Formats: sequence, C-alpha cells, structure tokens
Amino acid sequence: MFTLYMPITPFVFFALFPLYFMVVTSLKTNAELYNVASAPFLIRRGVTFGHYQLLSTETLFWSWFANSLIVSLAATLISVAIGILAAYPLARLRFLGAESFGVAIFITYLVPPSLLFLPLTTVVNRLGLSDSLWALIVTYPTFLVPFCTWLLMGYFRTVPREIEECAMLDGCNRLQTMIRILLPVAIPGVICAALFAFTLSWNEFLYALVFVSPAELKTMTVGVFSELIRGDIYYWGGLMAGACIGSLPIVVAYVFFLDYYVSGLTAGAVK
Amino acid sequence: MARVSDRVSRRRFLGAAAGGAVGLTGILASGRAPAVAQTRELTFLTIASFVPETDKELKRQFEEWGARNKVKVRLDSIAHLQLVTKKASEVQARSGHDITALGPGLGDAELYFDHLVDLNDVAGEVGSKNGGWLNESDYLIRGKWKLLPWWMAPFPMAVRTDLLEQIGEKNPDTWEDWLRVGKKGKAIGHPFGTAISHTGDANVTLLSIMWSYGASYVGKDGKTLTINSSQTRQALEFVKRLYTEAMEPEVLAWDDASNNRCLNAGKCIGIHNPISAYESAKKDKVLVPGTQREIADVIDHVNTPKGPVDRKTTSGYWCIGIWNFSKNADVAKDFLRYHFQPDNLSRWVEAGRGFNTPFLNTLMKHPVYQSSKQYRHMTEIARVSVPPSWPGPTTAASQQVLDLYIIPDMFAQYVSGKMSADQAIAWAEKEMQEIYAGRKRKP
Repeated sequence: MFTLYMPITPFVFFALFPLYFMVVTSLKTNAELYNVASAPFLIRRGVTFGHYQLLSTETLFWSWFANSLIVSLAATLISVAIGILAAYPLARLRFLGAESFGVAIFITYLVPPSLLFLPLTTVVNRLGLSDSLWALIVTYPTFLVPFCTWLLMGYFRTVPREIEECAMLDGCNRLQTMIRILLPVAIPGVICAALFAFTLSWNEFLYALVFVSPAELKTMTVGVFSELIRGDIYYWGGLMAGACIGSLPIVVAYVFFLDYYVSGLTAGAVK
Repeated sequence: MARVSDRVSRRRFLGAAAGGAVGLTGILASGRAPAVAQTRELTFLTIASFVPETDKELKRQFEEWGARNKVKVRLDSIAHLQLVTKKASEVQARSGHDITALGPGLGDAELYFDHLVDLNDVAGEVGSKNGGWLNESDYLIRGKWKLLPWWMAPFPMAVRTDLLEQIGEKNPDTWEDWLRVGKKGKAIGHPFGTAISHTGDANVTLLSIMWSYGASYVGKDGKTLTINSSQTRQALEFVKRLYTEAMEPEVLAWDDASNNRCLNAGKCIGIHNPISAYESAKKDKVLVPGTQREIADVIDHVNTPKGPVDRKTTSGYWCIGIWNFSKNADVAKDFLRYHFQPDNLSRWVEAGRGFNTPFLNTLMKHPVYQSSKQYRHMTEIARVSVPPSWPGPTTAASQQVLDLYIIPDMFAQYVSGKMSADQAIAWAEKEMQEIYAGRKRKP
C-alpha cells in the first residue's frame, strides 16, 4: 500500500490544492480574508455560507449556470456529431488531399479565438444571433469541430479496418458501417472528445463576453466576472464560490466517464 | 432492414446542404440580420460600478424614461476590464449597443472619433443646466463633443489615523510629508503603498507626483514631448526615495486591488486611492488585526498631496457616448438629456455615496459631500483633477501612453535599479516618440 500511494501523493496534492484553496476561500468571512495575520489555508474564524448566498440571491448566478449548461451541451453535441462525420472519411477513405486536409483541420484549431472574435462578431451580427445563446452554440463549434475531428481521426484509425469490411460483406453500406459497427467500438474516443469539447465550452470566456450582453443570458464565466469584480474591489469569496460551483459539472462528468476518457486518450499508444 | 440511403440520399443531402449554404451566404453578403431579429429598443452598455446602488439607480432612470417615452430599454453591464474588448467588437461589427460607457480616459473620443455621434447640442444643454462643466476645454476632442464626461472617482489619500498617532504625525499634506510618514510607518511594519506597475492606479499616482514636481510628458500643443526634463528627474528621485525608504518591493507587482487589500489588511499606513477601500472595509466590518476595532473607524481621507510646484492629480475619467451606427441616436440623446438633468444626476450621485463625481459645477455642492468627513476633500480633488495628458490635450497617442503604462515602467525601471534616471527617461521618451510618430502618420 505504502509503495502504491506514496508516489502518487505529491501529484494528488498538486492537483487538488487549487480546489482546496477555492473551497476554503469561499467559506471564509471577508474580515478573515483581509487579515494578513490569518492562515491562508485554514478557516479560523468560523465558516460562512454568505458568499454562496450572495451568488444565489444578489446575482443571476443560477441563470448563468443554466445558460452555460445549455450552450456547452448543445455545442458539444453539434461538434461531436460533425467531428464524427468529418473524422470517419479522413481516417478511412483514400481520396486526394486526405492527409493535408487532416493537417489543415488541426491548424485551424490552433488559430486563437482572440484573433477570430472580431470577424466572428460581424458574422454573428449579420446572422441576427447577437445577444442570444444561439450566438455561442453556433460559434463554439468553430474551435470544437477541428479538435473533435482531429481526436476522433486518431481513434478511428486504431479500430481494425477488417471488422468494417466484414460488415460490408454482410451488406452494410458506409454509413451503416460507421453507425452500427465503428461507433460502438469507438465509444471511448467519442466520449473523450465530448468531455474535452464540453470542458472547452464550459470554460470559454471571450466569445461569451463579446456576443452576449443581456445579464440574464450571460454564461457563468462572464456573469461571475462582471458582477463580482467592481472597479478595484474583487469579491474574492463570491468569485471562489462561483468557481467551486462551476467546477462541479466538470468533476461529475469526469468521474462518470473516467475509464472511457483514459482509454480514449491512450488509444493507439501501444500497438 | 431499411437502408439509410433510402431515407436520405446523398444527392438530397448535398442539395439541402447547398441550399442552406446559399441562404447563409445571402444573409452574410446582405449585411443585414434576418427580419425576425430586428427589434427596436434602446440599449446601453455600462461598467459594473463599485457601488452597486449606482447601477440600480441608473437602471431605474433608464426604465422610467423608457416607460414615459414608450421605448423598450435594456441596460447591460460588464466589468470595466472588459470594456475595451466589447467596444472593439461593436465597432468592428458596426452593431451593438446604442449608448456606451467609454474610458477610462477621454482617449476613446479620439480613437473612435469616426464612430461616435457629435454631442455638441446635448453637452451645451447639460452644461447650462448644471452650472457649466468643470474644465470644458479638456473634454473637447478636435473641437467637438464626441462624448460626455460622466464621472470620476477622485483620488484622496486614505490614511490610518491610529498609526499616525502612534508615530507622532498629523495628517500629511505634501509628498515630502508622505515620504516622512511612510518611512516612520515602514519602521513599525506599516509601509506606505502605491503601485509602480501596470495598473490604472500607478498611472494616476505617478502622474500626480510628476505634476507636483512640475514635470509632464507632453506639451500644450499635444505634440512636443516634455518627458526629458530636470523636473522629471526630480520626480524620479522622489519616487526612488519613496520606494526604498517608505514602501516594500511588492508594489512593483501590484494590481488595482492590491492597495485596497494592503490598507484593509491593516498593513499600509496610507494609500492614494478613491474611497472604495474604506467603503468595502466598512461594509465588510473588517477589523484592525489583533483588535476588535473596525478598521473603517481609523481610516481618514485627506487631500491629494501637493509638491514643490503644484497640487494636481487625475483619475479614470469615465465617459458616455452614442455610436453612430445606432439606429436610435436621437432617442439616445433624449435619454442622455434626461439622465443629466440636475435632479436625476443628484439622485445618481446620492446612490453612489459620492464615489461617482460628475464633471459639473453644480454637483460639486451636492449634500453627499457634506454627509461624512470622509468626503470633505472630494470636490476639491475633483477640481484639481486634470486629464492624464495635461497640459496637452487628450489624443489617441496620449491614451496609448497610458494604456501601455509607459510612465509606471519608467519609474519601475529606475527605482528597481534596472536603469539609471537618464536611461529610464531616454527609454520612455523613445517609446513615446514612436507612439506619437505612429499616430501622426494616420490621416
């Protein structure tokens, strides 16, 4: 047991420390937060849920939470669906430029959103999607689809071509082969792509700030930032409370799908 | 088993996809949103105020005006740090809010000169109803009112009275006083604190010190750089003494909230800052470390310090403007007239407890400034507050000098020993020359 847990302890500590600090800060009173003499990692003057109460009663936090959930789920579904349809031919079919097309998709993923948000603002506006959640559902796939495609291409290539050929001998066409044979085998890869896509959407800030202005339509990242940083006053307790609640869906998703996630990530690592 | 291809043939799929793409291209090429998305309403983008009640009062006035004029209104607020991004995206798309907060500083009037509605008529009316603007000529950009100066948070000195007593000092009034107080304070573990880093506070305080010693970075013509002067050297020498004798090195890495924290944590003896630190300490009932005494009870606000030459300071000038791509510019002007009516402005200042000081003479006599001794110097400070480019006019280049934190960097490089005074000044002058030359090339 000792030899098993000892080596991983530093890594667990390193990974969990930010979460611990977030939780501790969110439960401290403001008076203790400002006290330089108090221990930063411990709560000595009693626990308060005031920061959580502030989020719930004085801001639209739960609307922002719901908006983040809607946008992230929708963008993830769309992106994974498109990613599957794009990755399959790139991984399986031989056509002119297949290789370079795959690389081009990856390069697209590398273009930073801070370069894209200005031209995308024009596109979103002309589509009449400004100040609606659709603006985000439509634009998030611009960085999610290349990522999902690239990840799924790698996974699909690890699935033996022979099982598809058997299905085709039995009468399946390409689409049927993909849906009935390849996808069930590639579930870990698909879940891995979905988890990544969901996390990227959930954490996205810039597009959510630029494309959506009404308070009730903001996502959590932007809403918490807008309401709890006022001039040179930072509501640290509230910010950390928002961060704690905001990290829960990601934690839950990874806990449920951890095995798929690991096998999806490591697919093809050993042949 | 039904064949998938029987239900959706490849030809039908490609046809539908092509149709969708053509429709999308048409929308994008036309440059107009589909009719279903075109609704008429007046929208206003503001920044989240330090005093939330200010935003509530503004919203109340906006809704009241909307109801009277049968206009659907929407007030959106964002953190001030994000306003730059939002403005850039709205100008790029030529779409967004009708009315927008601008700033900090008057530079947006120059940067977005071609995208803002002329407000000469509104500014004239607002000025005449409110006893005139504080320093009217400062706010005109290329001879026009492209924005209305809205509010500033004056910069007094927040000081710990109990610590002053402990070191045998009274309220300091000059920068030299503050050096002495800071030195004594540091000796007992309570240094003076002002940022020498990439923050708005650093720009404000270091410019205040420069002006106090007779220095400036640009001349009255707005073109001649004046940073290379003996007065700037004196200011540098003073700040070096302040840094080494009265402050701690952490000020080189401070953000806008750091000095507030330093005061409210009971560490700093004084900071140059708006009253926000005091107000939050009061709200949160923060205690003096090791005692049961509230720290707000031992904080006082004194005048912004004077130097051997002058007493001047600046602040984040928050302004308000109307985008010229707004379809409701005239309606937006009506709301500005309404909000800037003396009664409404008065209520709004009351809600902000004096944090938001307008640039109008009548408001200098607002009762809120007599309501607490903490506010007693606010109007005086507002009167000696000038735009950061003083004595030069505000230009896009002067705004860029602020945005790139050239002044704090010059001071930081000298006080940290990275450069000599001459090298630091030469560095700043070169940076400014490039900024001003670059702007001159633009038509």
